[in-house]
Amino acid sequence: MKIKFFLFIICVLITTSIHTSENQIKLLEVYKNLRCLVCQGQSIADSNSDFAATIKLVVQDQLNEGKTEAEIYNFLISKYGEWIVYQPSLNKNNFLLWFLPYLIFAVGGLVLFFIIQKSRHNKDN
Amino acid sequence: MLSSIGNILVILVLTLSFLIIYNASLDIKFSSQSIKKNIYKLSLFQTTFTVLSFFTLIIGFVISDFSLINVYENSHTAKPFFYKVAGTWGNHEGSLLLWVNILVIFSYLFLVFNHIHDKKFRLYTLIVQNILILGFLFFLLLNSNPFNSIYPIPLEGLGLNPILQDPALAIHPPLLYVGFVGCSIFFSAAMASLLSGYGGKIFAQSIKTWVKISWCFQTLGIIVGSIWAYYELGWGGFWFWDPVENASLLPWFAITALMHSLIVLEKRNTLYSWVIILCLLTFILSVTGTFLVRSGILNSVHTFASDPSRGIYILLFLSLMIFSSLIIFFTKYKKETYNFNLKSRETFILVNNWFMAFFLLTVLIGMLYPIFLDVLTNVKISVGPPFFNIVIIPLVVPFLFFMAIGPKFGWVKSRNKFFYKFFFLILGAVIINILIFYFFGKYSFLSNLIFIAAIFLILQSCIDVKKIINNKNKFELPRVISHLGFGLLVFFIGVNYQFSLEEDFNLKVGEIKKINNYEVNFQDIKIKDNKNYKAVIGIFKLTNFKNNLVQYLEPEIRIYSNPETLTYEAAIKTKITSDLYLTMSNVSRSDYYNIKFQNKPFMICIWISALMISLGGFVQLTLKKNED
Repeated sequence: MKIKFFLFIICVLITTSIHTSENQIKLLEVYKNLRCLVCQGQSIADSNSDFAATIKLVVQDQLNEGKTEAEIYNFLISKYGEWIVYQPSLNKNNFLLWFLPYLIFAVGGLVLFFIIQKSRHNKDN
Repeated sequence: MLSSIGNILVILVLTLSFLIIYNASLDIKFSSQSIKKNIYKLSLFQTTFTVLSFFTLIIGFVISDFSLINVYENSHTAKPFFYKVAGTWGNHEGSLLLWVNILVIFSYLFLVFNHIHDKKFRLYTLIVQNILILGFLFFLLLNSNPFNSIYPIPLEGLGLNPILQDPALAIHPPLLYVGFVGCSIFFSAAMASLLSGYGGKIFAQSIKTWVKISWCFQTLGIIVGSIWAYYELGWGGFWFWDPVENASLLPWFAITALMHSLIVLEKRNTLYSWVIILCLLTFILSVTGTFLVRSGILNSVHTFASDPSRGIYILLFLSLMIFSSLIIFFTKYKKETYNFNLKSRETFILVNNWFMAFFLLTVLIGMLYPIFLDVLTNVKISVGPPFFNIVIIPLVVPFLFFMAIGPKFGWVKSRNKFFYKFFFLILGAVIINILIFYFFGKYSFLSNLIFIAAIFLILQSCIDVKKIINNKNKFELPRVISHLGFGLLVFFIGVNYQFSLEEDFNLKVGEIKKINNYEVNFQDIKIKDNKNYKAVIGIFKLTNFKNNLVQYLEPEIRIYSNPETLTYEAAIKTKITSDLYLTMSNVSRSDYYNIKFQNKPFMICIWISALMISLGGFVQLTLKKNED
């Protein structure tokens, strides 16, 4: 009975999520992922500085040339360094950054599991 | 004049701190049941003098006494009265004095209101708290004294950062400070509990009210800060995963975990060591946050008072705090045997702690990783919103589910007869989600899951509310309010994220821009002279073709003269269903203005549900009072 419910729910979910591919790149999403280098912790989207205005133009031009989002980020990184993108790429340096949170989550789960297991054991004795 | 009064008062507080530590250490050795009268008196004097010193500084700001460097640097005679007062804590030195005030006031209140508890425990708490007070007082006197004087006396002050001249920001620091510095008292109590051996259930009872007070104020402080960022920073966002916001979240995760575990310690008399760790951690994280923000290590929009020399002192103090608490913890640590059944409320509280630890460490890693990477490899990276969203949001789904089902379990052990109810509720949530999905728009698989989980929690909480009304069992009410608030918060943030309309474009006076069913007409520009700033006001006629509604929005560019700064004021039209948000900024060397137009659904509902979370805490505080 339980399993049937679950299967039903999952089926419904999968059918609903099929229609969701939207390939259009949103200009503002790109702006939000870029740091304004001359500001204090603002993104290009939020900043009113000249630097932000220039970068906005660069992004617009490159999109018009038909470049993908990733290509634009790579271009800007090659020019200004990794500091400019808010989402660090997954490479040798940043491996730990992306991996550690999940490792911690797994370890936490294990600790919890062992506490419950051990309690069960205590009770049996 | 005020300078010497202030300095004398601060030095008196410092002396009293030494006296209290001395007298308390003597009194610990006596076997009498009650604490000596003179310790109460000393503590009362200390509180009075600290509060007086803060009033002295406020008076300095109100009468614009520029012989105080602090007033000269952060105030101006032309400033409205309200902001003169708020300016007292709107700067580093003044806020440090506020910090010391809260340390001292909490120290006194804890001493007075905990008379039913063990004498030794209370005296140790007092001693540890006064060591903290001493640490911050020395910092204040040696590095950041708000009462330092300047000669010759300047005629006019430099003024307060205009971004800070805002009602939400004026009340936001005191709230956060009560929340964060209030944690000091259960840091001290935890140390005292280890030192005096006064642990277990009774320890939980002695600190629970204090934990709740801090939690309520922290939550409220974070929300008010977020509201301020929404309308003052002019980006239309409310959470930016900015380093300063993250720094305020760290202790909040710890204290939320603590608040939950404390219930287990009180009801089941287990998890003592873990509760102690959380008590210590919450305050350590509060100080860490302050250190990171004030030292200027982090690059943030919220940084208004950074200076490396402060950083070194706080870092030193922080290391001492961590080091001594670790030593005391491990010398006094006693092994506990745990007895947790899978289907019990305490297990689900542990699940809460598991997620809180994950959220906390993820945010901490995101904050610190770039610093370490820079030191080790000289590569500078930015860890921003995309990182936190990608890592954290997927795990919010199971978190919401656990949050809904956890409280349904009883203590120790329960049967699984109510599992079918959960399935019907989940089914209900799925159906509601499909309706939203088909009628309002398409979104990703993850968003589907988020909506389902949030709606599930909301439905479950609504059923609980009904039960509470029927049974008149008001003690479950605070929990239900907070959990319902969280469910609604996630739901509305989800809706807001999915259905926001956002456009960024350049316009000239007289031009018109069409976006979906809106028409933005830039009609005119006005210039207005105000008391402490000049305003350039844009007049925008906004037509909504869907319901033929015409509205006028007037965003401003403000030019403040002292200190000379430009700020951008958003024009916001709030309705229950959505906010219209418009900002304009000048584009250099052209007639064009950069316009950001946004239609953000359910903004007001986001604030209300966030406020509900903290309301739950406040309700619980009032319930406790009635019970006694």
